[in-house]
Amino acid sequence: MNLKNLIIFIFSIGSFFAIWEIYYWIFINNPFILAPPSRVIPTFYDLLAGNIQGFYMPLDAIYSLYHYFLGFTVAVAVGFSVGLIAGWYKRVERFLYPIIELIRPIPPIAWIPISILLLKLTHTAAAFIIFIGSVFPILLNTIYGVSSIEKKYIEAALTLGATKTKDIFIKVIIPASMPAFLTGLRVGSGVAWMCVVAAELFGVSHYGLGYKIELGRLYHSPDIVISYMLAIGIVGLFLDRIYRTLEASIVKWRRGYLIE
Amino acid sequence: MSENFLTIVNLSKWYGNGNIHVLDNINLDVFRGEFVSLLGPSGCGKTTLLRIIAGLEKQDKGEVRLKGEQIVGPGQDRVMVFQDYALFPWRTVLGNILFGLEVRKIKKEEALKIAQNYIKLVNLEGFENSYPHELSGGMKQRVALARALVCDPEILLMDEPLAALDAQTRNMMQSELVRIWSATKKTIIYVTHSIEEAVYLSDRVIIFTPRPAKVKKIVKVDIPRPRDRFSREFVELRAKIYEQLH
Ligand SMILES: Nc1ncnc2c1ncn2[C@@H]1O[C@H](COP(=O)(O)OP(=O)(O)OP(=O)(O)O)[C@@H](O)[C@H]1O
Ligand SMILES: [Mg+2]
Repeated sequence: MNLKNLIIFIFSIGSFFAIWEIYYWIFINNPFILAPPSRVIPTFYDLLAGNIQGFYMPLDAIYSLYHYFLGFTVAVAVGFSVGLIAGWYKRVERFLYPIIELIRPIPPIAWIPISILLLKLTHTAAAFIIFIGSVFPILLNTIYGVSSIEKKYIEAALTLGATKTKDIFIKVIIPASMPAFLTGLRVGSGVAWMCVVAAELFGVSHYGLGYKIELGRLYHSPDIVISYMLAIGIVGLFLDRIYRTLEASIVKWRRGYLIE
Repeated sequence: MSENFLTIVNLSKWYGNGNIHVLDNINLDVFRGEFVSLLGPSGCGKTTLLRIIAGLEKQDKGEVRLKGEQIVGPGQDRVMVFQDYALFPWRTVLGNILFGLEVRKIKKEEALKIAQNYIKLVNLEGFENSYPHELSGGMKQRVALARALVCDPEILLMDEPLAALDAQTRNMMQSELVRIWSATKKTIIYVTHSIEEAVYLSDRVIIFTPRPAKVKKIVKVDIPRPRDRFSREFVELRAKIYEQLH
């Protein structure tokens, strides 16, 4: 980031906080309904430091990330492997398509009741919601990536002596579909992170950023609620950065690929 | 020269549900170790013929036999160099060239040595770690050539492999090709639009009619190698083929 961008960055965040602060004091002025940045920022610090009884933000972040990884890794494994097969074998795709199209429009949140009934209030129940939310972007992008591979690359592999299906998969299909898969990974991760919050709001575990938002509301502490909201945004931003960096480093062979 | 190496018998091919007649009853024998050029107007069906020999396309009538056995699909005994290169964009120059060696299960060290030799041959030293999108058209073509040559197949099928090169590089690559060919005794079937190139390289030049392609004339090139492009016999043969084509 150069100096000019840094100035724009600070100005952007600063004006957002300023408008929020002014709005609070003119229109709300009630600490049980909303909190201004001047209150949120100290609370945020206290939550990070563990100064507030019953709230320790780093621990909640770890729990949320735990839920996220539990559901997301399964979604990646399933989405990628099924996507490879369905992308390559058109018959498998045709078989899966109606099922996918039926389930996909159901919002992950709508699965929460059934997930709690089936799995009780457990970490697995949270992971299940996250799985449901993130598996489809990964699956569909992988299918798209495989089915849009240009035929000439397969032919080149064949004529250069690749006789085994395994070689074609490992040396052509997987690398060629990597860009689409990584896009699916990034989009899926975003959905997964949103699902973490939704699942935790329903109390599947007693720790987690999402759960503490709900708890903050019960305590009538909007400063806590907003602090946790900000934490969710910040962690989500970091996750997105990680996947973008991963994307840029893995698919650097693509012409005109830009990270920013 | 042995008989019954590559035999093309009554080969016909249509595209578009039988609407586009591409190959019309082609009969051709290619001998082991021979350098044969295919010459014909654009769109006549040369690439199609090469693809059928490579096993990437099915004919509608007739057959192609290699050493008595019918060709039904791709095989490690034949390697094709594509007109549009088809380099793997996710592999570097070195990675592309190593591909054929990897699938042949050649040990890494030896494969690297072989690849390095061919990189030198096609003048791509220093570009080993470049990706295809970072190369010029001519450089891509040279990678495609090296990628096929390392496979060391019995038959090389080359679809205008030097078309994108400048005259100087092309001439140099032509002499290299003749050198490799005579050193390794490969059989090469070579599609080109350049009469000069055909005469310079080949033992025989097969001239096709416009689509649907039929063998119009087969011209034997009896000039001893290395050939002088400006010798009288060379120029005369060029003129003779030129007349056949037009
Ligand atoms: N997959 C296909 N489907 C339909 N038509 C095709 C297909 N491939 C080639 N053709 C047609 O077959 C004819 C022969 O094509 P081919 O590529 O073999 O010609 P060519 O002799 O290699 O031409 P050029 O010298 O321009 O490369 C052309 O008219 C082309 O339009
Ligand atoms: Mg062609």
